[in-house]
Amino acid sequence: MTERHLIFHNDIQQIPQLAAFVETVAEEANLDQSLAMGLNLALEEAVTNVIMYAYPPGSDGLVDIEAVIHADALEFILSDSGTPFDPTAAAEADITLDVQDRPIGGLGIFLVRNIMDEVTYRRENGKNILTMRKHLKAK
Amino acid sequence: MEVKITEQGGTMTAAFIGRLDTPASLDVTREVQPLLDHADRTLVLDCKDLTYISSSGLRIFLTIRKAAAAKGGKVIVQDICDDIRQVFMMTGFLNLFEVRNG
Repeated sequence: MTERHLIFHNDIQQIPQLAAFVETVAEEANLDQSLAMGLNLALEEAVTNVIMYAYPPGSDGLVDIEAVIHADALEFILSDSGTPFDPTAAAEADITLDVQDRPIGGLGIFLVRNIMDEVTYRRENGKNILTMRKHLKAK
Repeated sequence: MEVKITEQGGTMTAAFIGRLDTPASLDVTREVQPLLDHADRTLVLDCKDLTYISSSGLRIFLTIRKAAAAKGGKVIVQDICDDIRQVFMMTGFLNLFEVRNG
């Protein structure tokens, strides 16, 4: 089991750093590039959500990002001390709607759910903790 | 991330170069305004050098597509790589856009 750790302030300009973080994790877990891009996308969506909505506008807050590589799975664990928010409770986006009816937003959490195999939320000790798990083929 | 907008005949082309992540999208939203202003024409979104897109980038594409639908224009997404095609498939965007490769 290998762990990697990254701490962000709630500043959207930090998002590009996720690419290098995921690249390091993907190399250690020996993942192909397509899977790495998907994981980068899921992680960006989840972290963006925290940066944009967990803390009141203008206030500083931290987002803790942990990657854990298991033999058969990769886990991202996000935690923040912001407003209680369960992203897994959001309504599922309807991707069958046509151009006129399709809402402009709402795809972030949808992408997280579709890319990852398990997404769970819990509120613990005043923190939001989101765990996103992707099954890996055992080596 | 860079966006290059060119015009030829009645067609306006925006070439997206690099990674269209959340912070990049904040700038790109402003840069694609000429396409929204000319959404009655054929708009080509050239993705040959687009290496990554997140929901914020998809939101920009959809905004352009909606403007074209409202004003009678047409949007062509050109040369998306396999990984981004996968994102388009997952989100139903393949049904919303005319995609041309090659």
